Amino acid sequence: MTKRAITIANRDNASYEVDAKKPLLDSLKALGVDLPYGCKYGGCITCAAKLIEGEVNQKAQVALNNRQINDGYVILCVARPVTDCTLEIGVESHDRLYRNPFLDPLKPHELKSDIATSEKVPSR
Amino acid sequence: MSTNGGESCCGPGYASPAEAMKAPREKLLYTIAIYTGTGIQKPDYLATIDNDPESATYSQVISRCEMPGIGDELHHMGWNACSSCFDDASMARKYLIVPGVRSSNLHIVDCATDPRNPTLVKVIEGSEIKAKTNLSAPHTIHCLGSEIIISMLGDAQGNAPGGYLHLDRDFNIVGRWENSMGDIPFGYDFWYQPRHNVMASSEWAAPNTFMPGFDLEEVGHLKYGRRIHLWDFEKREPKQTFYLGEDGLIPLEVRFHHDPDSTHGFCGAALSANIIHWWKDADGEWKWEKIIDVENEPHPDWPIPVPGVISVILLSMDDRYLYLCNWLHGDIRQYNIEDPHNPVLTGQVWMGGLLDKAPEVNGVKVTGGPQMIQLSLDGKRLYVTTSLFSTWDNQFYPEIRTNGGCMLMVNCDTENGGMEIDPDFLVDFGKEPNGPSRCHETRYPGGDCTSDIWI
Repeated sequence: MTKRAITIANRDNASYEVDAKKPLLDSLKALGVDLPYGCKYGGCITCAAKLIEGEVNQKAQVALNNRQINDGYVILCVARPVTDCTLEIGVESHDRLYRNPFLDPLKPHELKSDIATSEKVPSR
Repeated sequence: MSTNGGESCCGPGYASPAEAMKAPREKLLYTIAIYTGTGIQKPDYLATIDNDPESATYSQVISRCEMPGIGDELHHMGWNACSSCFDDASMARKYLIVPGVRSSNLHIVDCATDPRNPTLVKVIEGSEIKAKTNLSAPHTIHCLGSEIIISMLGDAQGNAPGGYLHLDRDFNIVGRWENSMGDIPFGYDFWYQPRHNVMASSEWAAPNTFMPGFDLEEVGHLKYGRRIHLWDFEKREPKQTFYLGEDGLIPLEVRFHHDPDSTHGFCGAALSANIIHWWKDADGEWKWEKIIDVENEPHPDWPIPVPGVISVILLSMDDRYLYLCNWLHGDIRQYNIEDPHNPVLTGQVWMGGLLDKAPEVNGVKVTGGPQMIQLSLDGKRLYVTTSLFSTWDNQFYPEIRTNGGCMLMVNCDTENGGMEIDPDFLVDFGKEPNGPSRCHETRYPGGDCTSDIWI
């Protein structure tokens, strides 16, 4: 089993060793980290966390738009750690996740990947 | 068991809408309360509220039936049986089916054994529903005689259009109810009128679109609905579509008249803030028209006027009044629809909303706007809650995280029209023992104005 070290910045930098092949939500929950979640398939955003450092594979997520991805959000129920990672978890990390869509509309390249224009789509 | 209508042998509910209106006053209310999306790591729950004005605990939560997991996002719910099985003495209005939109779990709650303290008796796991029917994201529940149908807004991966889950009276999964979804792109609410062999359904969006939150741009990309569908109810397939266009952006709650002989139905288009009316015309054709258009309102901080966002509509049991909520404006309106082509505004009250018309009501700061409503069978008491959906709440009313939702009661004048917020009724979900929660749909043990359908 390939292990990755996951540090939770807003839980006193607590650190956990997890399986690189498993979704972070499953691994961290099994280790006793209390995390919000909803659909468990990458569609509903409830489990979003902010990736401060490192890289994850979250190809299966369909909840985030490109602005949220650029702001570092990852969907823990499907994200698998490619490297060691530092995360902020829970609603404390959601400061940029929710916006009033009328006051702060998305630009065409900031939409979800299936409808965004091609300008600089992040790879994370 | 019901004793209404003088029938000697009968099942749940009432012989007719007129009989339902004579039912005793509702003394208990069941209301969804959620922690999903709030930051509080507790299960969502079904709150029971004491609604007996003579009781010492009037307008308080007296019990909480917690779901077994967290993150369900309880939303709408429905009875196992209603007046559609009034003639079936083997049926009883005993169980609320309480789905989680995000988890797809269906919770079966016994509300009859101890009405003041409902208990969970069964969970149909979302994983089982997905495996057997390729459906997810349960929304509206209606009983179909002794069977149950539930609109499911997505397939197992959260893509549209989903379909309809069919349960038997013992809550076993029968399979998909519909024989075909035809060209329907999205699902949401539905209501049926069996004497005319018709069902109407509306369109929200794919779960993967609406669950993470609302983006106006996605409306332009056709990821939200703008149609109403009429079904051949017996064949279980769509037969006609009303393309509403810009007049019908995000059509949500669907209501037929309670009168089972009527063909008139209504739907609130949330983003367009219009009421759509349809009926079967003298020539036998189904037709539709826009009958109410809520003007967008200017806001000092907004670059564009604020749309009302009609999140719900409801008809009184006698079909005389239509109620609607403008969740972003903050008002509830009462229209006399005795002439359904020409509604007349007869009442309006304000609570919360973004226009600052009534930031505080009955001593509590209202965070959110009037959202789900439920009307007493006699049409005189309208119960209102303020949360729409956790992610959408977080976008438009972020303070709801710390303030929670609330429930208010509006007294309705059924003779002359008119509405007034009751000064003595308030349930502040901001003060719940586990922290601020958000309340949503409400039902009564004896049935209500959105449960009962007559066959």
